[in-house]
Amino acid sequence: MTTAESSEAADRARRLQRVAELLAEAVTPQEVLDAILTEGVRAAEARAGAIGVLTQDGANVELLAQRGYDASAVTGWSSFPLEAKVPMSDVIRTGEPLFLTSVQERNKRYPMFSDRGQQNHALVVVPLAVEGRVFGAMSLSFDREIEFEPERREMKLTLARQAAQALARSRLYAAEQTLRERMTFLAEASELLASSLDYNHTLKQVAQLSVPGLADWCAIDMVGPNGEIERLGVAHEDPAKVRWAYELQDRYPPDPDAPTGVPQVLRTGKPEFFPELPQELLDEAIGDDEELRRIIDELGLKSTICVPLVARNRTLGALTLIAAETHPPYTEADLALAVELARRAAVAVDNARLYREAERGADAARALAYVADGVALIDTSGSVLHWNPAAASITGVAEEEALGRQVSEVVPAWDALTSHVPLVPPGGDARPVTVPIVLEGRERWVSVSGVDFGDGTVYALQDVTEEHALEKTRSDFVATASHELRTPLAAVYGAVRTLRRDDVELTDADRAQFLEMIESEATRLAKIVDQILLAGQLDADAVEFELVECDLEEVAAGVIDSAALHVPESISLDLSVDGAAPIRCDENKLRQVLVNLVDNAVKYSPEGGRVELRVRSENGSCLIEVADEGLGIPEDERERIFEKFYRLDPQQTQGVGGSGLGLYICRELVERMNGRLRVESEPGKGSRFTVELPLRR
Amino acid sequence: MTSRTTDAALTPPAATILVVDDSPVNLQVLVRTLHGTGHRILAARDGRTALDIMKRARPDLVLLDVMMPELDGWTVARELAADERTRDIPIVFLTARADPADRRLGQQLGGVGYVVKPFDPVTIGDFVEGVLVRIERGERDELKRGISSEPDR
Repeated sequence: MTTAESSEAADRARRLQRVAELLAEAVTPQEVLDAILTEGVRAAEARAGAIGVLTQDGANVELLAQRGYDASAVTGWSSFPLEAKVPMSDVIRTGEPLFLTSVQERNKRYPMFSDRGQQNHALVVVPLAVEGRVFGAMSLSFDREIEFEPERREMKLTLARQAAQALARSRLYAAEQTLRERMTFLAEASELLASSLDYNHTLKQVAQLSVPGLADWCAIDMVGPNGEIERLGVAHEDPAKVRWAYELQDRYPPDPDAPTGVPQVLRTGKPEFFPELPQELLDEAIGDDEELRRIIDELGLKSTICVPLVARNRTLGALTLIAAETHPPYTEADLALAVELARRAAVAVDNARLYREAERGADAARALAYVADGVALIDTSGSVLHWNPAAASITGVAEEEALGRQVSEVVPAWDALTSHVPLVPPGGDARPVTVPIVLEGRERWVSVSGVDFGDGTVYALQDVTEEHALEKTRSDFVATASHELRTPLAAVYGAVRTLRRDDVELTDADRAQFLEMIESEATRLAKIVDQILLAGQLDADAVEFELVECDLEEVAAGVIDSAALHVPESISLDLSVDGAAPIRCDENKLRQVLVNLVDNAVKYSPEGGRVELRVRSENGSCLIEVADEGLGIPEDERERIFEKFYRLDPQQTQGVGGSGLGLYICRELVERMNGRLRVESEPGKGSRFTVELPLRR
Repeated sequence: MTSRTTDAALTPPAATILVVDDSPVNLQVLVRTLHGTGHRILAARDGRTALDIMKRARPDLVLLDVMMPELDGWTVARELAADERTRDIPIVFLTARADPADRRLGQQLGGVGYVVKPFDPVTIGDFVEGVLVRIERGERDELKRGISSEPDR
């Protein structure tokens, strides 16, 4: 070895050492490529260099980086088939290095390069391999012709080994890095999805999280309640672009029948993946719309992934990832990540919806538990699905007793209860029917309505027994009142018609008698009307009482004085006051009560006798008694006389007439003044009515 | 003096009609109105008196008020039906009760007519005459059936 040779060898070793150091520091594939193509090319004394690697499918060679070549020399060579008859493909295919001394040699072997620039003279292409597996090649071009002696060859091969190891390591690192990033992304996305039941919000956040790491654009569309497509969120790093995307969506709403994109994915439930968006697809979508073409061009769409959000076999929506201005085109790995992200998002949406449904169900059950109406859900086979507490209370059948059993078994009266109920479809006008049934030996009136919802019937039950009784009382009152009115009306009408006849002979005395009778019947009619009105007002609690301190002695004296004007001579009226204590009452109402009691006493004393009004106080109460020596009241009628329209009508008093409401009204009035009205009597010996009012303290 | 419009040939020469009403006005009106028909009119102010009269006089028709003290019209009708001597006396009920349930009761108790108060005394004469004619023709059952559908007068 000559001195020159040994110095050259030492120099090569130094250069290789320098490259090895740089490669050791390089972490990312880009740093590795930079190191190879600067220091490596320089160490090899080459003018230009390039690195190509096999694509994942092994069919093509992808040019990762180059340095020193003219742009014209590499144009169209970013990717080429492994089968191509070109130096790099040959080397990768064979694993054998290629050393070409001159342009002539190159052109001879690769005639297709004959027209290429002549500034490259010698050419070296060495395989990049780790553990015996070739994954790419490095080319080095020189600006002179070189005979590659074994040492030089060995140096290029060593450089290739170093480069291959560094590149493989960095690619592994990058892959790991990507994987880690994806795992981190998925973890963060999952955490977001699990953070809230408001999936609208969390899905938007997931879209936000996807840019720019996973996509330039990320959009989430959901299937609405009526099958319509609803855009839930669009994310881009630039908020202005997001606004623009929404405007675009408004101007160009999605066609639900579109053969590609979100509508297609929602329809089929299958992902759609375009590693490279075909221009014809865009052209088809754009049509003749120049404005849209401008927008699409500006977007610079490169590659898209659209995956469905599927949970429990239902497509809930779609996630779209778009690589445009910055993101590299998508790979299968990206698709897998998108599918996994969509799966997790769909589960989160589904869970949130299920939870909300369950919550609504719980709310509904709570509402049904407290509602006053009985609610019973009966399926088409007649079995009880739901039985709320009010239904249990109305029917007397407990929920646990009814659930799951035939309703006609647990409630024997069920058919009687529901057979006349018109069933309407949901939303129909469910008219309740009121039906009397015997439940647990009691007669109950139940208002029932039913809605048929296909899978069964929901019945609403209401116990209207009290309302029904009240209504009955009211209609009975009207019937009886009208009857009470008809009787004097008949007399007046009959008398008037008779008076006006010319075919019936009447003397002046007859006429006078008729007129007198008309007058008295009309008076009676007016009195009955007054009393019916008053009774109605009392029932409706519409009578106002003005409780003031009143002079009882004066009231009692007034009642006796006015009665004295019309009582028969056979009656003697007496008033006795044993120290009138102060009371609070409505003076007019009390007077009305006493007048009525005195009138009754006179009326039921046909044989005459003493009628006494006595005022006294006893045990903190004021007692006002009206006593007579008349007919008296049989024991079994003593309470009934206070009922509406009940009339004690012994033969002797016929024709006296009354409304049948007098005592009812008296008792009501007294009770509303915080007092009591009671009666003692001995048939044949007379009666004593006692008004008891509290003394004023 | 008469207000009769019915074919004289079909009318029995003179019938005995008992009028029962506790209201003196109504009794007066009925008696005076029917007096002009040429029939013999009897009057009672209560159910007990009416029963006594019917057992003695066997009237051809009774106009019976329902709401009367002590013995009401329904009770009088039941007692008439229970006694062989009075079972066949036709009854026209006079009442302020206009319920269908009351009409049915009147029908069940053998009524041949049901007049709701207030009624027009001018037409009551013709009504009574009509009832008498149809009874004479043997249409008593038809009269009974007609009670539930007869309009108020």
